[in-house]
Amino acid sequence: MNLVKKVVTWARIKSPWILHFNTGACNACDIEIIAALTPRYDIERFGIQLKGTPRHADVLVCSGPVTKQIEDRLIRIYEQMAEPKFVVAVGTCSCSGGVFKDCYNIKGGIDTTIPVSAYIPGCPASPKAIIDGVIKLLVSLDESKASPKTIKEIPVGGE
Amino acid sequence: MIKELLYILVFPGFLFVSIAGLLAEYVDRKLYARLQNRIGPPWFQPFADIIKLIAKEEVTPCQANPRMFHAAPLFALTAVITAFLYTPLWHTSSPFSFNGDIIMVLYLLTIPTLAFFIGGWYSTSLFARIGSVRAVTQLFAYEVPLFMSILASALLANSWSLVDIVLFYTRHPWYWCFNLIGFFVSLVALLGKLEKTPFDIPEAETEVVAGAFTEYSGKLLAFLRLCIDIEMVSGAALLAAVFFPFGFFQSAFLSFVVFILKILGIIALISLLRTVVARLRIDQMIDFCWKLLVPFALLQILINLVLKGVLR
Repeated sequence: MNLVKKVVTWARIKSPWILHFNTGACNACDIEIIAALTPRYDIERFGIQLKGTPRHADVLVCSGPVTKQIEDRLIRIYEQMAEPKFVVAVGTCSCSGGVFKDCYNIKGGIDTTIPVSAYIPGCPASPKAIIDGVIKLLVSLDESKASPKTIKEIPVGGE
Repeated sequence: MIKELLYILVFPGFLFVSIAGLLAEYVDRKLYARLQNRIGPPWFQPFADIIKLIAKEEVTPCQANPRMFHAAPLFALTAVITAFLYTPLWHTSSPFSFNGDIIMVLYLLTIPTLAFFIGGWYSTSLFARIGSVRAVTQLFAYEVPLFMSILASALLANSWSLVDIVLFYTRHPWYWCFNLIGFFVSLVALLGKLEKTPFDIPEAETEVVAGAFTEYSGKLLAFLRLCIDIEMVSGAALLAAVFFPFGFFQSAFLSFVVFILKILGIIALISLLRTVVARLRIDQMIDFCWKLLVPFALLQILINLVLKGVLR
């Protein structure tokens, strides 16, 4: 049983499929995320693939603060993903709300709406930082060997 | 009895063909990456993907028809694995061979597309429905040239059994050169069957999310992916057996290695083609298949009919 668990954890670390979702960013972080997906950085080396549908994805990569309009959609996308699922907040805005904090139409960072596993600060976060963040999230998965909630403690950005 | 069971379940049945399919996916993805000047995934990547998907939660949409939704991937997987059993691998013989098995293999390779259609249709998602209707529309375009070009080769051999075709071409060593037009026609048609890039209209992720697979997750998605990988191996094996029926030696091991090399060569051609061409629209695809591939397949049949008169 232990061996099965080990193999499954190994497989999860080696094959994270991501879904990119813009929760109201200014597009700078989106451009950096797209840049991270280009052959220049070649993240298929780590088994990372961009998927079109939440049903296939393991990691939800969010960029931007949660606007009041996008909140319901964000929750819906999150609910549509299959367990186990992780959320990565890319950029200062999605970590804490950034410069948009306390705006009339902004709820705040991603963690005000759904649980976040890794925060990647930066305005915008560079492709290297994004890849580093995702890899750190996956490595922490191996060390903790527990429920995904423990991962929340590891990387801290914003706030 | 036990021998047959081993043949079906272990070698070259379920276990062998699953591993071969996953390795074929690796070869395809690695070549694709190298041709794009990338490093590409490590060799265990497809295995990690499948294990991860099997361990993942399985979501059934509440509006979907659960029975059809769950049955479709299994049907598809079973059909492609069965198609592989009839191919003569290391010897000019196969335990389940009968006259007409080439037709059966061709139809077994059609079942996955229909299963994708049923699965996509019954998952009751808009994207899945668009994708599945596109898959079936495409089926009517590539299936005809594929059947015509493969059966043209059988026509020259005067048999509809894969083993007899291989035997015929072994007896007449250089006759396979006459079928080269048919080979290229069926290679392009195979791209359509595997939904690879010029013809990946059904699962075009920039248009219809993931096509018929949109609502699939967990184990069922793993089965679907495995099915496409094995379909690639089964299709390449069929093409290798029909169009390159040479290299069967006294030693079973040696001829098996040659056969694997032939399959790898065909997979390399598939990845090369999907790297250098961009996606077509569905109407362009159907135009291309009916106006270009079908005439060439007809030409192949004509050549083989004439040759049949001249050579006998």
